[in-house]
Amino acid sequence: MADLAIRDLHVQVEEKVILKGINLELSRGEIHAVMGPNGSGKSTLANVLMGNPFYQITRGDVLYKGEDLLAMSPDERARKGLFIAFQYPVSIPGVTMASFLRTAVSARRGYEQELMPVAEFQKLLREKMEALRVDPAIVGRYVNEGFSGGEKKRAEILQMALLEPEIAIMDETDSGLDIDSVKIVADGIMQMHRNASGGMGVLVITHYSRILQFLRPHHVHIIYDGRIVVSGGPELAQELEERGYEGIRQQFEVIAAEVQESGAIRRAGKVFWVTH
Amino acid sequence: MSTEGTTQVAAAALSRATVEQQSARLGEPAWARERRLAAWEAFERLPAPAVARPEEWRRTDVGALDLGALAVPDPQGSPARQGRHGPLVRDEATRAGWLAHADGRTVGRALRAELARAGVVFTDLACAMREHEALVREHLFALASPEEHRFRALHGALWSAGTFLYVPPGVEVALPLVAQTWLGTPGGVVFPHTLVVADQGSRVALIETFASAPAERRALASGVVELIARPGAQVRYAAVQEWGPSTWEVGSVVRARVERDALVHTTMVALGGDLVKVDVEAHLGGPGASAEMLGLYFGTGGQHVDVHTLQEHAAPHTTSDLLYKGAVRDAARAVFAGLIRVHPGAQKTNAFQANRNLVLSAGARTDSIPKLEIMANDLRCTHGSATSRLNEEHIFYLMSRGLTRRQATFMIVEGFFADVFDRLPFETLRGYLQARVAEKMI
Repeated sequence: MADLAIRDLHVQVEEKVILKGINLELSRGEIHAVMGPNGSGKSTLANVLMGNPFYQITRGDVLYKGEDLLAMSPDERARKGLFIAFQYPVSIPGVTMASFLRTAVSARRGYEQELMPVAEFQKLLREKMEALRVDPAIVGRYVNEGFSGGEKKRAEILQMALLEPEIAIMDETDSGLDIDSVKIVADGIMQMHRNASGGMGVLVITHYSRILQFLRPHHVHIIYDGRIVVSGGPELAQELEERGYEGIRQQFEVIAAEVQESGAIRRAGKVFWVTH
Repeated sequence: MSTEGTTQVAAAALSRATVEQQSARLGEPAWARERRLAAWEAFERLPAPAVARPEEWRRTDVGALDLGALAVPDPQGSPARQGRHGPLVRDEATRAGWLAHADGRTVGRALRAELARAGVVFTDLACAMREHEALVREHLFALASPEEHRFRALHGALWSAGTFLYVPPGVEVALPLVAQTWLGTPGGVVFPHTLVVADQGSRVALIETFASAPAERRALASGVVELIARPGAQVRYAAVQEWGPSTWEVGSVVRARVERDALVHTTMVALGGDLVKVDVEAHLGGPGASAEMLGLYFGTGGQHVDVHTLQEHAAPHTTSDLLYKGAVRDAARAVFAGLIRVHPGAQKTNAFQANRNLVLSAGARTDSIPKLEIMANDLRCTHGSATSRLNEEHIFYLMSRGLTRRQATFMIVEGFFADVFDRLPFETLRGYLQARVAEKMI
């Protein structure tokens, strides 16, 4: 079984249904990209996987290494190796990055009562900061407070490097970054992926294909209106780059109408729709 | 103690006779005894504070307090030494002197010899009255009158084991002095009085701690702190209050008189007690005077904390900067009422006031009442208050990194208090309070 298996996931916020039956499987070692236009449910998927209490799951399940992920609290998920790099990480006044990171790393590494020894943590932190070319001054600042867009994204990647996840979800980590920064961030992810030698799976959620030039996903999924409507290899991202979401939309709308009528499983071109 | 009476073996009721006995036991001069008796007379005459000053006492009801059930601790008893506050006092390297009061008696004292030689006086008030009578007579109750309200009158009649600190002109005391007040008698009362006189151009810091036994019976404390900063003097004062869970602290005041070019920095920490009502005030009386006022309170369980602050600008070119932060959890309630008063003619005043509250449970509440009375027209004055609840997005973010909900909440609370910690004038206090706030989170 895949390390992360999402089956028929339905999610809503208050009365609004956002995810309408997501199916996806991802294992360590793999890199998947989920691409979709604004409002398609990409960020919802990422947040639900991490356990954001803002969303209600109405149907479906998610197995993580064979266990019921949805029954776990966010911290339990994190300690078991799930990670999300947030699109909009919140800033927390008064809490220094140093103290936050040390507590987080200690939690991930199974320290129960005490924290990881300072010296050991500092050595680890220095290593990771050098590898990712993160300004060491960041650790004395409050969590994300006053960070530029790029600094926030890099801080997320730094956390990922420190926590050494088994499955990492990158929620629009490329958005708001210039191309040089996208490359630095993507290089960092690839480096971690290599270093993990098959121990880390990555789910990249993105609107644009440019980060995928650096990340080279094995699988690409297109999410549209709360469903994954197309899955394929890396060539799918290329195709999307050329034709845009408009091409997908047209195919999608044709099938949507047919499915509405007959309730069957349909496939037209690269778009398919499974009703449940 | 010079006079060891033999008549008194048990705790004594709050009465005129007890006032007289106390004055006699301490071997006080006539003027001091007369002041105590005048205060007792005021206590008997004054109405309840809720009647006399309804606005100030509107949010804190002390009507349930039964003064008849309280007693002055037996001065012959051997009070248990308190275990708390150790980190603040134990390390001699971090303090210039130490004074310990327990159940109304002074049980320990120390002052570095070079400071004593320089003329610094750091001792209990009764002793100071004998050895430095003129100084004490001039300043004791110069800033706080027993006529102000009933609890202050009671304090004026029955204060004991006070702390006296005098710093001669130009003398600088680098390390803080520490004074501890402990109440170990269940159902006991304690009226701690602190008088600090920092003479011209001197510098000094005093940390005071207050704690009581975790007894079931209601105990009462009502204190007065008088801080006098003569021209050019700098006084840093911190009160760390960790009364036991049944103690009421009612009608206490920390009041500073800041003269020309002097500076007073006060820190008020309220962590303990069942009901606490204190005032913290700075009166800026001379040009160039400035006051910094820090406050930290954390109410849990059914605690009630009510703090009134006053920044009084009575002279031109004066500055005050106040930051009070509080957290409440469970069914606790906190009240902050802060007044900035600028007198006519106090031009070029700079006055800042900020109060921030963090509400951690649905059943907890805070009130924040900023007030301004401005009677000058050339000044800069800002005030702001805000109350926020625990932000679930912040919690989720921290939990998504593996922190438990408790760890995440703790980190946010610690972060909330960070700017108060950062502005604390004493390194020892910072570490101590961080640990105490952590304890309150459990």
